[in-house]
Amino acid sequence: MKRTFWKAVAVTAAAALTLAACAGGDAGDDEAAPTSTGPDTSPVTINFTWWGNDDRAARYNEALALFKTKYPYITVQTSFAAFPDYWTKRSTEAAGRALPDVMQFDLSYLREFSQNGQLLDLAPYVENGSIDLSNFDENLVKSGELDGKTVGIPTSTNTFAMFQNPHVIEATGATFPDDTKYTWDQYNDFIADVSDAGAKTADGYGLYGAVDYTGTFWFFIQWLLQKGITPFEDDGTFGFKEKDIVEFLNLTADLRDAKQVYPTDRNVALAPKGGFTVNETASEMSWDNFLAGYVADSGTADLAMAQIPSIKAGEKHLFYKPSMLLSSGANTKHPEAAATLINFLLTDPEVGKIFGTSKGVPADSKQRAAVTTEEGSVDAQVIAYEEKVADSVTEPTPIPVKGFGAIEAKWKSLGEELGYGTLSPEDFASQWFSEAELSTQ
Amino acid sequence: MTLIAEAPVGTRPRPRPSDVRRRRQRAETRAGYAFLAPWLIGFVVLTAGPMLTSLYLSFTNYNLFAPPKWIGLDNFRLLFKDPNYLQAWKVTGTYVIFGTPLKLAAALGVAMLLNTAHRGKGFYRSSFYAPSLIGASVSIAIVWKAMFIDHGIVDRIQVFFGFPEGGWVGDPSRTMPMLIMLTIWQFGAPMVIFLAGLKQIPNELYEAASVDGAGPGRKFLKITLPMLSPVIFFNLLLETIHAFQVFASAFIISNGTGGPARSTLFYTLYLYFRGFQDFRMGYASAMAWVLVVVVGILTLIFFRSSKFWVHYSGEGK
Repeated sequence: MKRTFWKAVAVTAAAALTLAACAGGDAGDDEAAPTSTGPDTSPVTINFTWWGNDDRAARYNEALALFKTKYPYITVQTSFAAFPDYWTKRSTEAAGRALPDVMQFDLSYLREFSQNGQLLDLAPYVENGSIDLSNFDENLVKSGELDGKTVGIPTSTNTFAMFQNPHVIEATGATFPDDTKYTWDQYNDFIADVSDAGAKTADGYGLYGAVDYTGTFWFFIQWLLQKGITPFEDDGTFGFKEKDIVEFLNLTADLRDAKQVYPTDRNVALAPKGGFTVNETASEMSWDNFLAGYVADSGTADLAMAQIPSIKAGEKHLFYKPSMLLSSGANTKHPEAAATLINFLLTDPEVGKIFGTSKGVPADSKQRAAVTTEEGSVDAQVIAYEEKVADSVTEPTPIPVKGFGAIEAKWKSLGEELGYGTLSPEDFASQWFSEAELSTQ
Repeated sequence: MTLIAEAPVGTRPRPRPSDVRRRRQRAETRAGYAFLAPWLIGFVVLTAGPMLTSLYLSFTNYNLFAPPKWIGLDNFRLLFKDPNYLQAWKVTGTYVIFGTPLKLAAALGVAMLLNTAHRGKGFYRSSFYAPSLIGASVSIAIVWKAMFIDHGIVDRIQVFFGFPEGGWVGDPSRTMPMLIMLTIWQFGAPMVIFLAGLKQIPNELYEAASVDGAGPGRKFLKITLPMLSPVIFFNLLLETIHAFQVFASAFIISNGTGGPARSTLFYTLYLYFRGFQDFRMGYASAMAWVLVVVVGILTLIFFRSSKFWVHYSGEGK
């Protein structure tokens, strides 16, 4: 951090000297000379950081090389980390008021950082045109607005989809219900059918219908929306009660009792992979942009995408979740340069081409159009899916409460205990609420 | 020296010998501190300062972003209402109570074997010590996980011997044995210390015992254990404190979750979650200080109890 700072100081000082020389009448070097009308183009160095794997790093490096040719006066220093470590670093930086100039941000942490004034309000840069959001969905942009400030701008979206492994379904002879109008009960029947077939992989592992979906907090949120309940109120409280949790958990109670869901111990042992990515379950609900990762992890190229089940046939109540946002630290010394980089990453069609749908479907319609969609490719499949369900996306994005990370993790670990049979749904609900009380205060 | 005594009255008093000594001592003290300075600065800035800060933070609500807010003993009150916290004590306690004695027993056993071996002693000593050298590293925990996973080597061995199939990593009742085995396997450091202790025991004692007709078991109980008790005490203390601090292996094996079903939610792991994932630094600091106090009390108990079972040679009988 410190080295970056001094480097920035040195660069600024050098720039100042160059400018002074220009003002003195020396017309020899006009590269750094400011034009009277255009934006300030004196050299600056900014930091940019993201979470993700090597594949994402390669794509970012390609995009930033392009950025360098367009904006040679902005030097971007980069770093990246895995998701959990990423937040450890950001929080320590926040404590020292040294957040990066530009960074990837996640919805679940947005409120926490924003409430404490750590994030730059980007609204002025949107207004003066530095960041061009004319090709963005308005509702989506709102998901980055908190307390009247634009603290993050979504780069891309995702929404829930039902992934299917056709080989597993075929091997068990089950049929997947009509995905436009099936209910949770019908989905449960499908899970039971697959598991009861008793088919096994070449290694001797049993094939199952799915991992118990009630173990994932986001699915509960989706189910609440279908029920007509707002999960999070604006004042940071919950719109649901313990009995709602119990009702949701009991959706799969019979499957758990009959051991028709994927065994919890095996799923835990496989982490960070899971039953679906080792080709042992027939289906899995998840964010639609996970397709690329699923294909890579499972080695199954022809995974299919369908819609998720609903409470009332056909009423899906989907929502777009920004798969990530771009934000800027409130401490940045170069807000214009930061805004320039954010605008480039959000709206440049070339960047859209470089990333495809690996970060989600691009939020900017021009970027989305630029994604090369080879027939049958992962990108084409994801974009086709989002176009197909566009009419079912009727809910605004639920903005997670403060402490969301902790309560989401708690849900997962309680879900494991439920799977091991050491916890009842009622105990799950009361333990989760006591954790929520502690984490969201 | 005589000159000083004969100095005429009225002249400036020459420094007396004790003054000279004192001044030289003072200069030496100063030099000593000067040489210590790098360490002292490090200690104050990197250890004592942060510790005092965390003591202060333990009485506050601090999320890293906003300034700490004084809340008195609330954090400590919350701790004992937090089911995860009690689980963390249970996990850590189990690990300390079973892991430490077993590890010391393994270390002593191998040390005694090595003490009798003659050929290739150096080789064996090094190879038994090796796991401790690399033990703290992340790679060993990863290898350990790979050994105990479904269809891993341990799974295959247990199937070969007719036990039911299944890895240990996903089974909450078997993750703790797995971690305890990992710590036992890293017995090298206490073993080397035991070995040094065993060499200190005079051979005449054993010879005399043999003459009196004592068997190996009796010699072990009546000579080896008492003579080795200061070393056992030292190792026990060190390994107990060490066991309370286990972090990396649990973090890796549970994939950074403390799971499955909180079975590996070690104290330090939970502290890390609270502090660095939930940003509840006040709460995490309170946890850290409770741990410090508990380990401190345990150490005190060890020292108090030592006079009943630790024998230092040269002590009056």
